[in-house]
Amino acid sequence: MSLHLQIKQKAAWLRQELFEMFLRARQGHPGSVFSQIEITAVLYYGGVLKYKHGDPAWPDRDKVIVSKGHATMGLYPILSDFGYFPEEELAKYGSGEGILRIFGNITIPGIEVTTGSLAHGQGVGAGFAYSSKKDRSNCKTFVIISEGEMYEGSVWETALFASHHKLDNLILVIDRNRNIILGDTEDLVGLSPVEDKWRAFGWDTYTVDGHSIEELLDAFRQANNTNGKPKVIVANTVKGKGSSIMEHRPEWHYWQGMTDDEIDFTRRELRETP
Amino acid sequence: MRFQRDVLIDELYELARHDKDIYFLSADFGAPSLDRFREDLADQFLHVGISEQNMIDMAAGMALSGKKVYVYAMGPFITLRCLEQLKCSLAQMNLPVTVISVGLGLGYADAGPTHYATEDLACLRSIVNCEVYTPSDTSTVVMLARLTSQKPAFRVLRLDRNGMERLYENDVSIERGVHEIQSGERVAVFSCGYVLQRMWMNWTALCDGANIGLVDVFCNKPINLEGIKPLLEKYESIITVEEQCLAGGFGSSILEVVSDLGMNNPVKRLGLAERYYFENGGRDRLLDTFGLSTEAVSAMIRAC
Repeated sequence: MSLHLQIKQKAAWLRQELFEMFLRARQGHPGSVFSQIEITAVLYYGGVLKYKHGDPAWPDRDKVIVSKGHATMGLYPILSDFGYFPEEELAKYGSGEGILRIFGNITIPGIEVTTGSLAHGQGVGAGFAYSSKKDRSNCKTFVIISEGEMYEGSVWETALFASHHKLDNLILVIDRNRNIILGDTEDLVGLSPVEDKWRAFGWDTYTVDGHSIEELLDAFRQANNTNGKPKVIVANTVKGKGSSIMEHRPEWHYWQGMTDDEIDFTRRELRETP
Repeated sequence: MRFQRDVLIDELYELARHDKDIYFLSADFGAPSLDRFREDLADQFLHVGISEQNMIDMAAGMALSGKKVYVYAMGPFITLRCLEQLKCSLAQMNLPVTVISVGLGLGYADAGPTHYATEDLACLRSIVNCEVYTPSDTSTVVMLARLTSQKPAFRVLRLDRNGMERLYENDVSIERGVHEIQSGERVAVFSCGYVLQRMWMNWTALCDGANIGLVDVFCNKPINLEGIKPLLEKYESIITVEEQCLAGGFGSSILEVVSDLGMNNPVKRLGLAERYYFENGGRDRLLDTFGLSTEAVSAMIRAC
């Protein structure tokens, strides 16, 4: 089976698995979790990351930070698949008996940084990246942020710092699904042109269809260099991708509840998602 | 008389020479002692730009990578400006980072309220996992430097801007967190930092013939209950003196302890009125004018 097809199958499995977790917990942030699925699938299953099965504390691992903490749960099935905690935990997501929370924290094996409040991940990631340089380690740090985090000033503090210190081992992925809680970012406070802003700060930029396995794989391959520049991959995505009930609907930032018919429909849809 | 920051950085310099995991981050804040650190230990010094928020997040990442990180900036900016970073990145993950905050109270007079730290203690006390120290002399600063290196934890060291005398000769226990400078009868003043040293320099006039105790509570959080309890029991009345607005500050912390220990001592608080200070005249004049003069403390003592 080709790598491309393997990743596609992992992405489909992730959506199905996560949908069942949302259903059980009746809470969470499906819009943002579904928009980043291909990004995480390529990162974890596309040969991008260095990791060791069953050992989340392996010293030579690359780091992943989901700075948009409300979407951290999108990693849980992957981390379980990597042998970091038992699969049974997924069934207990969001319950009083399990270890898996709506927002991730460092008590969960494989979660590197406690996140939740926006725009901390890239600063902490810069700390990882700077330390790796100091330690002469070739470990990389990948930070997934939502485009909404670009409204926070600290993002740009980090952007300046990472560029000045030539942190080419820091790779930021912006999940640009265009929606924040109250609507489309371009209607509310425009963020465009995103790439130009990052380039002006001295970053290498790559813009991709954030649901295209090929384009994401290609961007991560291109970003794998030591040219002295931090990297940002602007991944244009669809909020709620994969569920026609959720797609492009800002209210599905939060779990909204579904009728039995809608649940059956969505399960079929997620199974059939190409 | 020496600056607390120079004492601290000189000590850290010696420690850092032998411990390559020590990193010193500055948000564009200097000191004569830091010039030597920057030159001799350039690999362990990092200027982050005037970016306190990024500095704290960065420090978290470095601490998670096994580094002993010190972050350094002017008091109001390394506390309230980045309070959320202190909470989310350091406190929530309980990371061993030492925050060095310089310029307490009206220390930067006559700069005005943007540069004063008159609300920071109340804010810092509310942050979970955050240890807070306000050393009142230079010898405790040396001990704190060693503590932060030997037992790294999330701590804020509130250092004064002004030069300070050495008050102690190796007779202070940093773990105890409190030290009785002067034993007295019936009434004691509890304080810390510049205002404590300022009172101690005028102690004879301030006491006006009375035998008053003076207690240095240099560890503001957590207050060592075993350490402070005998001192609270010893005195009938307690007066707290702080260079902070009173809401949630030093006096509040002593009131909390008295209440938690089930004691009944009256505690009277002297501090800055809840307002911002735009007046000129220098720090001591402002303190004299706005309620922290020697006469004000003496009057409070007489009223006990």
